Amino acid sequence: MKDLLRILIAPLVWLATFSAIYGLLGLICGHGIGGTVLGLSLPRVLLITAYALAILLQVALLAVLYHPRLASRSGFVRFVSRITGWVGLVATGYALFPATVSSVCL
Amino acid sequence: MYSTLDPAGPAARNIATLWWVMLGGATFIFGLVMILLLLSFTRRKGAGGEARQLRIWVIGLGLVFPLAVLGALFACGLVIGERLLARADPEVTRVSAEARSWAWSFAYEDAPGQRTEGVLHIPAGRPVDVAITTADVIHSFWVPRLAGKLDAIPGRVNVLRIEADLPGTYRGLSAEFSGAGYGGFTFQVTAHDAAGWDAFLEDARR
Amino acid sequence: MNALERHRRLTTIWASEPGMRGWVSTVNHTDLGRMFLFTAFVFFVIGGLLAMLIRAQLATPHSAFAGPEIYNQIFTMHGTIMMFLFAIPSFEGLAIYLLPKILGTRDLAFPRLTAYGYWCYVFGGAMLLVSMLLGIAPDGGWFIYPPLSGAIHSPGINIDFWLIGITFVEISAIAAAVEITVSILKYRAPGMSLEKMPIFAWYALITALMILTGFPPLILESVLLELERAFGLPFFQAELGGDSLLWQHLFWLFGHPEVYIIFLPAAGVISTVLPVMCRTTLLGYGWIVAAAVALAFLSFGLWVHHMFTTGIPHMGLAFFSAASTLVAVPTGVQIFAWIGTMWKGRPELHLPMLHILGFFCTFVIGGLTGVMVAVVPFDWQAHDTAFITAHLHYVLFGGFVFPILAGVYYWLPHVTGQRRFFRLGELAFALVFLGFHVTFLAMHWVGLMGQRRRIPTYAPEDGWTAINLISSIGSFVLAIGLAMIVIDVVLHALIAARGKRNPWGAGTSEWAMMTPPPAYNFASLPHVDSRAPLAADPNLAVRLARGEGYLATPRKGWRETLSVDIATGRPEMHVIYPANTRLPVTMSAVTGLFFLSLLVKFYWTVPLALAGVVILAWKWVWGLGCKEDLGALRVREGVTLPNAATAERSPGWWGTLFLLTANATFFGSLLFGFAFLWTVAPGWPPPAWFAGSMVTAGVGCLGALLGPVAMRQAIRANRRGDTPLPGIVLVLIGALGVAIACTAMMLQTPAPMGHAYGATLLVLGGYGLFHAVLGVLMAVFLTARVLSGFTSPARWAEFPIVCLWIDYLSIVSLLILLAGHLPGLLS
Ligand code: HEM
Ligand SMILES: [Cu+2]
Repeated sequence: MKDLLRILIAPLVWLATFSAIYGLLGLICGHGIGGTVLGLSLPRVLLITAYALAILLQVALLAVLYHPRLASRSGFVRFVSRITGWVGLVATGYALFPATVSSVCL
Repeated sequence: MYSTLDPAGPAARNIATLWWVMLGGATFIFGLVMILLLLSFTRRKGAGGEARQLRIWVIGLGLVFPLAVLGALFACGLVIGERLLARADPEVTRVSAEARSWAWSFAYEDAPGQRTEGVLHIPAGRPVDVAITTADVIHSFWVPRLAGKLDAIPGRVNVLRIEADLPGTYRGLSAEFSGAGYGGFTFQVTAHDAAGWDAFLEDARR
Repeated sequence: MNALERHRRLTTIWASEPGMRGWVSTVNHTDLGRMFLFTAFVFFVIGGLLAMLIRAQLATPHSAFAGPEIYNQIFTMHGTIMMFLFAIPSFEGLAIYLLPKILGTRDLAFPRLTAYGYWCYVFGGAMLLVSMLLGIAPDGGWFIYPPLSGAIHSPGINIDFWLIGITFVEISAIAAAVEITVSILKYRAPGMSLEKMPIFAWYALITALMILTGFPPLILESVLLELERAFGLPFFQAELGGDSLLWQHLFWLFGHPEVYIIFLPAAGVISTVLPVMCRTTLLGYGWIVAAAVALAFLSFGLWVHHMFTTGIPHMGLAFFSAASTLVAVPTGVQIFAWIGTMWKGRPELHLPMLHILGFFCTFVIGGLTGVMVAVVPFDWQAHDTAFITAHLHYVLFGGFVFPILAGVYYWLPHVTGQRRFFRLGELAFALVFLGFHVTFLAMHWVGLMGQRRRIPTYAPEDGWTAINLISSIGSFVLAIGLAMIVIDVVLHALIAARGKRNPWGAGTSEWAMMTPPPAYNFASLPHVDSRAPLAADPNLAVRLARGEGYLATPRKGWRETLSVDIATGRPEMHVIYPANTRLPVTMSAVTGLFFLSLLVKFYWTVPLALAGVVILAWKWVWGLGCKEDLGALRVREGVTLPNAATAERSPGWWGTLFLLTANATFFGSLLFGFAFLWTVAPGWPPPAWFAGSMVTAGVGCLGALLGPVAMRQAIRANRRGDTPLPGIVLVLIGALGVAIACTAMMLQTPAPMGHAYGATLLVLGGYGLFHAVLGVLMAVFLTARVLSGFTSPARWAEFPIVCLWIDYLSIVSLLILLAGHLPGLLS
């Protein structure tokens, strides 16, 4: 079961953060959250912060999956879990990238 | 008459170009896959160990190649999409469209009190924002030669940017299934030249 | 004991009853797999006939073949049948038939559940067919968007047939998914670690997990819409605080994964059949497993691409556009790994291989057009046109029907033990392939020319006539091809031409048995230490028949098997299966009575049916277990194992765990719906918030906290040899506390018919109450078991199972109380 979790965890976390950031966008646009901080628009700052956190989380997961003491004992599971770990990281970086450039509530 | 590939406005034109580019790319990729498939039946083959094969097939063709193509395509889509949004613009004419099963009625910011049924009047050569909503079920506002479609959702107002290059008549469709009368649920957009548009507004004021 | 005698004795133990009685009482996976597949193909034929009606209607402009009311029913039923009654059940059937054989064991984890799922599928499907024969079939399209499908715009019973019939059928999908998951994780041949698992098992495992998490949103929203239609709880009505977009979110949260739930098993078939056709092994096994996992997860983050035109902010669309293009990468990995496999081996053009080539041609085009519609601006044009119809058929026909046909031809010799006599199949393939592309290739074009999907007819001026006529002609060629395949298969079964045992020279263990397969699969269970055990030991079948494996000696008329450790495949427990029984079919009939009563609004039979289900469920679980300790059982020379009744994590525990996974997804979707309405629906905040009372909320919280503590106390007492009854009584009291709090919430919620807020609280409370009642029933059941001597300090497997449910009850009831009281407190 733990081995299965190792394989599934990174994409699972991707799914959670991806949906959460989409939810954040819904909140921002649905409630007209606006304003600026440090000259940047507040919505953009919120979104980019969340984006960065999501990436950090994935990096941390990947570190766990590569850690000699925390990785699986089965070579096969190590291999697969590291690929899915990379999938989580790449998917986070790629699919949430619009948070940095796209117009926010149009 | 309804063809998205015979565009008559900037939005539809952008999208048509996008389609032709994608069609070219897709044809190329499809051809590539078919050739690789066919070649597998020939005897002579690049052998090499399992590791080398994995590098070629899985990493090269399976990961890197699609990621590059798709990344580029996604970026294109994002840029074009951003360009087609209904941004604030002093040039814009605002109209509104309300759907009900199965008729559209249109109203005009510049001619308060004026309503037209089944025919939307717009000025040609200028961006127009259509505020779309519905009185009953979900419908969709679509003028294929001018722009993409946008849904009419109960309780919400969605804004679509359209523009016709030239004066003329463009056919519109309601493109969300809406029950028995769906098949015949169409409308028209009439784009006027400057004089015609003024006359339309004048007409309305009287 | 020689092989023949072993065969005789095992057969008397495992065989189903003779004749018609056997059909309704069998719990054997081979029987049920065949029945599933047969039924699914019957629905395929029906769905195909409906498709022919669609194409007949659209062949010419101004067609007067069917009016819009009938036409709407036809295409809705075509889509519904193909997706819910053909595609998913044929995966279930294939997996049920194949998994135990390919995993080297004797049956699935819960044989009676297999049967129950099958009968739910049959009865639910029959309900939909009846509606069609009566001319009152669902007519809102296969995703029946409200408000069109709401009571105001669709007052008839048509939509209710969809909501209730499909929910009934989905029970079978959930049952099969629990079954498949536990079977793959726990019921494998000894020695088969995760990495030795045949690739098909990986695909089936991932698909089953996806069903467990993908279908609950659909079930939830069907319940909500039916509540709205029958009792006026306004979840999807914008005027009353609901939102029609909530339906779309939940539907596609299910609907997109559904597409991959359909594709992944087909990919599993290809990964299994292709290497055999190429006389080699699969290239990149680990990569393929990882790609399938990635595909499964990514597919849950794509749902909004079906909603690009609903007016969601562009950044939101861009997220989903990006994710949708990304999902093509793991698909690409698999495609190229398969082509690499072909390069590695020597492909031979047997009939299954032809269908696989058909798959490549068709599915690649479908994937490419899929990437196109993932690009937002293009989808603004293509959405809801014939372009989408063409795309989805390239994906579904290419990605499912061709691979399944490859699988049918590949495993048919296994099912019948015979070989094909006439060479009809090759011609049939050519017709299907040609017919398909003639039907659908030009359809992309007519979509771009503005032809909307779902229109009943069109005018000659529209300029779509020629393409539609070509398409209709193609579809009839396609239909003839499919009919020839049916004839080919029937002839194959009828003409007795004995085949070789392993005609394709495959390496997986399903071929290490006689064909057609005996009821018990393997006379003794193999010890597996290779992904292709039969290739490693060509003599495997004979050795197993001679009894050179586990459990070679039948004893006490038990249906015995082993379960293993998940990761390593080390044998762990000895399991005794239940035998033939009519309980599943009875129980699904009573379940059907429940759904039927709801459908025809005969509400006084609803409690009757519910009571029936409870009684039968009681009987169901009561029949398991035994009253004395079995001790360690010998399963092979020098190997003894404990029985599953003594395990902390018995098969039942695992089944419960995965059932609760689905349940938790259901609950999570409900919470998501609440949050969605609260934050984005027009018409919020509601006129009044739920005030609640400290007393009932406190009682609920205490009850929720008491349950798990008391349950653990009961377990410890039992293990010590003391009586667990006091603990169990406390569990019961805790559950009652939760029931009181939830009932209070349901009674005091403001105006459930007046605003979606009150309606949501009512459902949340009802969900909590349902689980509290379940908790009470389980506590009573456990007490009865203790008193009748089914448990002992050693035989305690039932306690951890109840404990899981009580823990779950505790968590959800706390969340429900929080969700109920929070908005009121915040304002
Ligand atoms: C046997 C050959 C088939 C033919 C000729 C066919 C034909 C069609 C046509 C013409 C439509 C479009 C109706 C319209 O919207 O204008 C349609 C819709 C659809 N088809 Fe098929 N189809 C076939 C097989 C399948 C299969 C195998 C599946 C799925 C596994 C499938 C799933 C669907 C779905 C989901 C829809 C959408 C229904 C809706 O709009 O509500 N079809 N089919
Ligand atoms: Cu999708």
